[in-house]
Amino acid sequence: MKKFWAIFFWFWPVVALVLCVMAPSQGWWFPGPPGTQMGERIQGLFELILGIVTVTFIGTNFALGWVLWQAASKGDDKKAFYSHGSHSLELIWTIVPAFVLLFIALYQMDVWAEYRVQSFYPEETKQGSVAEFMARQFEWRVRYPAIGETLKDEAQPGDLYMVNELHVPAGRPVKINLRTQDVQHAFFAPQLRLKQDAVPGLIIPVWFDVPKAGNYDVTCAELCGWGHYKMKARIVVESQQAVDAYMRKLQEEQTEDGFVEEAAEEE
Amino acid sequence: MSLTSGRFSWLTVVAISASLAAGCSKSGLESSFVYSAKTDSLIPEAQSGIKGQAGVKKMVDDRFGNPQHLKAWSKLPIDFGGVTASVGETPSGKAVKEILLQFEEGITSPSGDAVSSVQFVGGAAAGETAAVLSWDAESGKATLVSALTGSPAQGDQVVIGGGEVIRNGRVLYQRHCSHCHGTSGDGAGPTAEYLNPRPRDYRHGVFKFTSTNSSSKASREDLSRILKYGIPGTYMPSFLLLKDDELYAIVEYVRFLAMRGEFERKLVTELSVDYSKASVADQTASGTKRSEIIEALTAFLTEDFSDVANSAGDELAEAWSTADTEEALVAPTVGRVADSPESRRRGRELYLSKCADCHGVSGEGNGPQTTIFEKLPDADALYPEAGLHDEWGNVTKPRNLTQGIYRGGRRPIDLFCRMNEGIKGTKMPAFKTVFSNEDVWHIVNYVLSIPFEAEPGVSPGSIAPATPVAPAAAE
Ligand code: HEC
Ligand code: HEC
Ligand SMILES: [Cu+2]
Repeated sequence: MKKFWAIFFWFWPVVALVLCVMAPSQGWWFPGPPGTQMGERIQGLFELILGIVTVTFIGTNFALGWVLWQAASKGDDKKAFYSHGSHSLELIWTIVPAFVLLFIALYQMDVWAEYRVQSFYPEETKQGSVAEFMARQFEWRVRYPAIGETLKDEAQPGDLYMVNELHVPAGRPVKINLRTQDVQHAFFAPQLRLKQDAVPGLIIPVWFDVPKAGNYDVTCAELCGWGHYKMKARIVVESQQAVDAYMRKLQEEQTEDGFVEEAAEEE
Repeated sequence: MSLTSGRFSWLTVVAISASLAAGCSKSGLESSFVYSAKTDSLIPEAQSGIKGQAGVKKMVDDRFGNPQHLKAWSKLPIDFGGVTASVGETPSGKAVKEILLQFEEGITSPSGDAVSSVQFVGGAAAGETAAVLSWDAESGKATLVSALTGSPAQGDQVVIGGGEVIRNGRVLYQRHCSHCHGTSGDGAGPTAEYLNPRPRDYRHGVFKFTSTNSSSKASREDLSRILKYGIPGTYMPSFLLLKDDELYAIVEYVRFLAMRGEFERKLVTELSVDYSKASVADQTASGTKRSEIIEALTAFLTEDFSDVANSAGDELAEAWSTADTEEALVAPTVGRVADSPESRRRGRELYLSKCADCHGVSGEGNGPQTTIFEKLPDADALYPEAGLHDEWGNVTKPRNLTQGIYRGGRRPIDLFCRMNEGIKGTKMPAFKTVFSNEDVWHIVNYVLSIPFEAEPGVSPGSIAPATPVAPAAAE
């Protein structure tokens, strides 16, 4: 019976190994394959960290099981061995993880820079953002500049408005201005592997380059109030022509004056 | 339900038992519709009926049911779902178990599982709902699980798979809306009390942001727009990502709740003069015996109440179906006037003459009217707080027009509707009798420029090409 616990703790690393190999390779629990090149690199980082964590988990659990097995195999008359206060052990388990963390920090730097540091953003995004993506309890309000204009931080007379739906062109990097009107929210596009907090008072540029046309989900990833779960939106990625047509449709709708010629003639 | 006089309406009410609740009617998930405070102000006999005569509550329940067992009052212009058909060749004799159904031209016979029940709307079997054992789409032959009690005749109206839309609407409504708007649509769900403005109480049948003229109800299109785009500046969120058929079902359910509430109010109005608790107290104080009052009430309930209910239903049907017609739609007789500094100047002049009293000289929604104490609608007293009250007794501030947030939508036609027809249920009046359509457009142009003014009345320098009607208006 004493050995049960050793086996118990050896069982979990085996499960972990199976899951941590299957999950990324079979796509279990993943929101589909990464939709962007940046997403693929973020996925790569994710897998690297998953690997490190898996190895650590397996190592520590095997060690735990081994200790238990050892103790269980010894007779009751053997005295226990106390490792508490061992200086060298402490050094080992401080320095080894520190190196692992340092490695991760250095390894992810270029991805981070491209993802977050504006001077590293792709050239195409530097002309300005295609839209303002404003979080609000509990929806996403989208503001596009008037056709042919550039987006300003302040609302402009010709701006076009939409809610919970963002249209962007496929196959080129686009940037949006992430903002919030009230509390902190987070922009999370799982298929694109994008996540960025929206912080009150800040305008945070977020860019992405989705090669494949389609609909991509957006949710809020910061518990922002009771209606947090309602904050669903979608990014519609389509050809530039389709986006242009959409903008024209928006403009037409937003200048609708309800005037019908026949109605007037009847008067 | 009393027979004879109440018969007609009863026969045209079809029960839609929610399949969801079948078999677990006593579960903790059971919910019920509440009655209005006005109903509670009646004496108990008027609320619950007397001597077998239905009072207000039963009248309402018989026609609308409860959330688990909704009823379809076919008089009302609501799409409850289902396909209408008529009984074909008359089955002979009693205990009919097989019927032939015919469909009108253009309606295809539903196939397979869609036909799970047949509800008889007219004829001797009216009111019966029969479960279908098997269905042959080609011949239109339905074999019923058990024999009918009444014997249907050729031409009798039936509904197949009735109630699907409204049932679906109820489920979606409970999931997405009821925590704010309440199960009965009374605007008093559990989260409601933390919100300002408060969620709409549909039971008055009044909706604020519509494209119909000032005396009309909201159209389906209006409600569906509200659902899709939400109400910016309030807690009413957007449900853009719901599918079209889901939105459609929710809209029908909202209309159902609105009509239920209105129907109840109409009945109460009919009774409250003589049979409210206060009125009965007055009458007994001045010497009338309570028993006499009750006798009069019984007579009224027996002889007239069904007619009252029927005509209330007719009024509702008329009003709500008109709202979906073109006549009800606001149609400006001129297109939007080109947005130019002159137009805005004119708009500002008109604004100062008619709007500033409420909206303030600079448009901040702080005009002098907002500080007065209004009279209560049905008492000789004032509201305890200053401000303009709406239909529901809540203070509504005139909109702060400097923010550029328009709850009813920001299209020029939206603003035109608000100004020309007013905002229903609020103190924002209709100006169609005051201003010409052209002048309203000048005001629209001015109002749309307010958020960009450097100072009140100083038109912003550049005008964006907001309207394709007048591209030349830019600068
Ligand atoms: C978070 C709370 C909340 C939820 C959830 C919510 N609403 Fe509302 N709703 C509101 C508030 C607040 C208003 C009133 C806004 C105003 O008065 O300007 C409103 C107003 C409305 C109106 C009235 C519009 C008008 O023109 O008068 C309708 C219709 C409506 N809601 C339907 C729905 C439906 C249907 C759902 C579910 C799909 C829903 N609401 C969910 C809060 C909510
Ligand atoms: C008696 C007071 C009163 C007067 C006069 C008045 N308003 Fe209003 N107005 C209101 C109130 C109250 C509201 C807010 C209604 C609500 O949403 O509950 C409002 C709302 C509005 C809105 C917001 C519509 C939206 O979709 O959000 C606009 C625009 C507006 N008024 C313009 C005008 C103009 C222009 C005039 C003059 C032609 C005017 N009002 C006159 C009281 C008034
Ligand atoms: Cu959020």
